[in-house]
Amino acid sequence: MKIRHILLILTAFLGAALLVAVAVQIRNEILKYQTAQRMVASNAVREQLLLGTDALASERSQAYVLLIREAGESDKLYKLREARRRVDALLSAAEAEIGRTKASLSNTNGSLASLVRIREEIGTLRGQVDGYLAPDQPLRGFEFAPRWFQQASRLVEELQSSRMTLLQRERPLDPVLRTEANLRAFAAILSESIARNQALVTHALVRMAETGSLELDAISQNAGRAGLAWELIDGQLAVPLSEKVEKAVSSTHEDYSTTFAPLQRSLLAAFIGRVPPALSPDQWYDMTERSLRSVALMQQELLTSSRERLEAELSRAQRTVALWSALLLLGIAAVITSALVVRRRVVQPLEGLSDAMLKLADNDLTTPLPRLTRADEIGAMNDALRVFKANAIQRQRAQSEKQLLHARLRDAYRQLRKDLEAAAVIQSTMLPAAATLGDVRYRGLFRPSSLIAGDTYNVVRRTDGGIGFFQVDVAGHGAPAALVSVACHHTLSQAILTRTQGTHLEEIAAQINEDWPEDLPYFTMILGEIDPRGQRASIVQAGHPSPLVIRRGGTVELIGDGGFPVGMISSASYERLEFDFGPGDRLLIFSDGLVEAENQEGEQFSEARLRQLVGENATGTTPAVLETLDGVLRKWRGSETLDDDLSVLMLERLPERTQADAVH
Amino acid sequence: MLSTDLRNNVLVVRVAEKRIDASKAPAFKDEMTKCIDSGQNQIVLDLSSVDFIDSSGLGALVSCLKRLGPRGGLAVAGATGAVSRLFTLTRMDRVFALHATVDSAVEQLSA
Repeated sequence: MKIRHILLILTAFLGAALLVAVAVQIRNEILKYQTAQRMVASNAVREQLLLGTDALASERSQAYVLLIREAGESDKLYKLREARRRVDALLSAAEAEIGRTKASLSNTNGSLASLVRIREEIGTLRGQVDGYLAPDQPLRGFEFAPRWFQQASRLVEELQSSRMTLLQRERPLDPVLRTEANLRAFAAILSESIARNQALVTHALVRMAETGSLELDAISQNAGRAGLAWELIDGQLAVPLSEKVEKAVSSTHEDYSTTFAPLQRSLLAAFIGRVPPALSPDQWYDMTERSLRSVALMQQELLTSSRERLEAELSRAQRTVALWSALLLLGIAAVITSALVVRRRVVQPLEGLSDAMLKLADNDLTTPLPRLTRADEIGAMNDALRVFKANAIQRQRAQSEKQLLHARLRDAYRQLRKDLEAAAVIQSTMLPAAATLGDVRYRGLFRPSSLIAGDTYNVVRRTDGGIGFFQVDVAGHGAPAALVSVACHHTLSQAILTRTQGTHLEEIAAQINEDWPEDLPYFTMILGEIDPRGQRASIVQAGHPSPLVIRRGGTVELIGDGGFPVGMISSASYERLEFDFGPGDRLLIFSDGLVEAENQEGEQFSEARLRQLVGENATGTTPAVLETLDGVLRKWRGSETLDDDLSVLMLERLPERTQADAVH
Repeated sequence: MLSTDLRNNVLVVRVAEKRIDASKAPAFKDEMTKCIDSGQNQIVLDLSSVDFIDSSGLGALVSCLKRLGPRGGLAVAGATGAVSRLFTLTRMDRVFALHATVDSAVEQLSA
């Protein structure tokens, strides 16, 4: 999983968690808002129903009073009509309110249906009242009144209960609201009790003689219910209510207990004692009307308080929803912003760096680095990468320079080697191949320690038939020695060929020594000649190892004990050594590379071993002796290489009988 | 490769190498040249430790002798075996004063 995924998933996860939390909160608040809305709607409907119930109770009292009176009073009829209009208006308003709140309240159809039924029944009752109150129907109303009153009271109760049903369905959770609802319910009981007694006591006052214990019981029951309602109301007052509500309740209570309750008590006592009360029915009616108004006022206060409280709750819920919604938007914006910031400030630079690193690791040094001017960790990484790249470029440059240099060196070395190889070929062509000159046969062995050697040799025949020969070993080895050896080769060959009659070998050597340039390396040599006619040979030994003579019979002799090298001491003098060299005798001349060749332990091959080897092989042919010598030496060295140049020259005076065989 | 010791106004130079060959000769020559150029003209070269001298080494020895010039003396002490044979073979025994020991060489030079 890439870092971008981890970071973006983390951001998304945090954002989602935040958003879910806020969304849950919003949902709660919306639910609260909806509840408040429902409560407001329910409260509005109930308010209309409460007012309608009160109005219906008032209509009932008025109609009832008209029914029990003998004569119709036009102003009271007018008031009744007023009351009816009020009831109709309030119930219509209630209907309209239910219709309006259909969306937020449940089972509004049931409430609406029961309200329609109640209104129909109200219409029926009103028809009956109108019938009895018609001018041609005197007195009959009185008999009908109690039953009508009961029916009307049932409708009042039904209206009341439809209100309570609504309240049950939308029971408020707020303690104040609940207390206020309770208070309204109890006040409705109180109001209904007073309203009933308004009618019943008026009836008793008008027709005292016909008032029996049944009617008095009803009156007493209503009074008791009113008292109970007050007790219930008082019981609710523990909850702190608004000042206005408390004031309305206490003033109504005071009004009731100081005016209405004592009056009702004294009237009831008078009825029981059959004492004519000192109060006209109208006075009572007005009195109760005042009391009812006071209770209605209290109801009004309660309704207003509840409405205000609910509206406050509603707007609070609205505000909260708005607040949380704003928070939600803010949260979404924060999540998106952080995702973008993470992408732009962390993920993209990291990916850029990672790409660049991979390319650098692939040795792609042309890859551009991200342009970052930051002081944070990513900036530091980028700086480090820049340094790394610069170093890598420098390293690569150094590497390629080194390779270039190496290639040049290789070329130079190849050229040098080619030159040396060419020089080696030239040098080898200077050396005489095995041949026979007159009665002298010779063969050489030549092994340079590197391509070219400081050793050289030659065998030449002078015009007078004399065979001159030399072997040279220039001090040092390699190219300088090889160049000098070429000079020696030439000088000595010329000296032999151009020697004037009577000049001795030692004089030639001394002359060359005298002429030898100071700053050239010196050399050792054997310079010799073989008398073509006699049985003698002579040599000059100039610092060169003493040669061996292998006699025809197989004995080995050492010739000479030394002499000055040429080019070392300017005034050196040389000696000529003459010795017998008859047919079948062989002369073995060698450079010090032969006797000084060291084996792996650093031991030199030595003159003694050479003499022994030559002695053991004295009867072998020249090529066989040289081959054996070469083989033994290689074995002695334990390798094919040499530390010093090695040359061997073997000269043989042919036996007389084989002189004709020119070629060996 | 060389260690020096002044005895009776004679500089004894001891060669602490087994070989004076092509690879050692230039260094040997340089060090010897320094000794000579420092003003010493009576020098004993102690070759008792040296087993082998090749043509380059011999060239270096002779060039030292030449550098020292006719005023100075260069004696060789302790040459044995192959070294001694080389001196004989090249007649250098006639150019250098050869001594068996350093003492005898110093004695001769300081006399």
